[in-house]
Amino acid sequence: MTIGFESKIVRSAIWGLTAIALLIIYLPPFYLLAISFNPALQPALPNLSDVSLKWYIELGSERGLLAALKESLLIATVTAAISTITALLAALAYLELGRMRNAWFMLVITPMFVPGVIQGLALSVLLNRAEIVPYWGTVVLGHILWSIPFAFTVILTSLAVVKNNYLLAAADLGATWWQRVVDIIFPLIKPGIAGGIIFSFLLSLNEFSRSSYLVGRQNTLPLTMFGKMNSGATPTIYALSGIIFMFSVLAVGGFMYLQSRQKNLKK
Amino acid sequence: MFQIKRGLSLAIPAFLLLAIVGFIPLLIILYWSFWAWDPSTYWIKPDLSFDAYLAIGEVGRWTVLLSTFGKAFFAAILCLLVGYPAAMAIHFVATSRWAFILMALFTIPFFMSYLIRAFSWRLVLGRKGLINNFLVDIGIVDQPIDWLLFSDFAVMVGLVASYLPFVIFPLILSMQRVEPNFIAASQDLGASFLRTLFTIIIPLTKPGIFAGFLFVFVMSSGSSTEVKMLGGAGESMISIMINDVMRVVNFPLAFAISGVTIVLLLGIIIVGNRVFGLTKLFEDV
Repeated sequence: MTIGFESKIVRSAIWGLTAIALLIIYLPPFYLLAISFNPALQPALPNLSDVSLKWYIELGSERGLLAALKESLLIATVTAAISTITALLAALAYLELGRMRNAWFMLVITPMFVPGVIQGLALSVLLNRAEIVPYWGTVVLGHILWSIPFAFTVILTSLAVVKNNYLLAAADLGATWWQRVVDIIFPLIKPGIAGGIIFSFLLSLNEFSRSSYLVGRQNTLPLTMFGKMNSGATPTIYALSGIIFMFSVLAVGGFMYLQSRQKNLKK
Repeated sequence: MFQIKRGLSLAIPAFLLLAIVGFIPLLIILYWSFWAWDPSTYWIKPDLSFDAYLAIGEVGRWTVLLSTFGKAFFAAILCLLVGYPAAMAIHFVATSRWAFILMALFTIPFFMSYLIRAFSWRLVLGRKGLINNFLVDIGIVDQPIDWLLFSDFAVMVGLVASYLPFVIFPLILSMQRVEPNFIAASQDLGASFLRTLFTIIIPLTKPGIFAGFLFVFVMSSGSSTEVKMLGGAGESMISIMINDVMRVVNFPLAFAISGVTIVLLLGIIIVGNRVFGLTKLFEDV
């Protein structure tokens, strides 16, 4: 704790406001999760004695949702692979670029600020003129733009543990650039690379507005879910949302936990 | 040891990918926004026409632009108000264990589905939602409150919940640059906490405040999910307006609206970076 924050009133005020921030973020999805265990048709909190996996089991027979899920998993896997490799090269470039670093950083993260609808529209019109029929690959193109800035930032953050001295020492001892990358940088930024993969996978899995322009005959999962949510949601939607919510929390939380353990081991 | 030349060749894959898939299509539709509709090909033909831009000036179009930016502005301010104390908790107050847990909790929403999060607000704010049930049960109101959902209020709540994490990280980065001795000195000299907050901490974290504001403003301006899920019937956003214009295949108008929006948003980012040094915030990472 920093000096100046000892007062009990100050601390309780700060903690109270933090709790409100967390409530705003987490209350609704947790409420949805609770509802998903209620076997009744009307959305409400279940009584403890009623808790059931009914809607989760019924998900198994929702063909449309399962097909969309399969499509989205394929797109997310390909997006994660391409985004992470590209972002890794971009981050290695950042190391070498000296005074051009800031310009390069801004350039790579710019797509994050382009509204998804506009980016999707621009790309789809062009693909259309080039007579490329939309399929899962065209969705991947849109998703890469969305996930590279995040993967890049995560990998860049992990590069902070690579001290210049390590690289200088290796260079002095005659290591080539390739040896420095493989023997020093890679082992140290493994968590960042794992983060890049996990985060781009999740961003792609949940992406909505770019997909709506780029998708082919088979809708992605968020598009299918959006349709169902607006046509009187059946409770299976709660179950599926619950699964995706838990999966995202576990993936990101688990990753951050492992990363912190690795840091502690090094100390 | 570091070589610009090697850096440039390493940058090629990302540069080509972002340029071909991202930047070039945007430039092309900007160019096409000056073309004119051609009924014979069901596509547009070369022209130098400003009709599309004039059409933005029509009532109902520029009002949507204005109300989008207004909502985004308001969402950014609210995010700062809610996010600043949370960032202070993480950087100044929490033990390292709690700081880590809070950081994780604020990171997770970045990668959670915006669609599911907006949808789950429906369940909380609806007529038979969590809040209305609670208020009716304890007898504060007799009838469920209607304006909670499908209203500006709901959209604002959805935007703040979605983009709150985007203010917290720049704020923490800027707080890390505040010299703790300044705060200690201020306290030694007898300043109250609020005085220290307003004369030392907030002025020193201005870059983080501006960065957080810009992030939320820009992301909210481009959002559509929150309004689609939570907004009232007549409510629109730039993104939704573009969808509607595309539905009637008015390509030049859709491109013009996109162009104006992109130029405005990227302009704000570039100017913000010049003035407040956004990249400096990330230099240490």
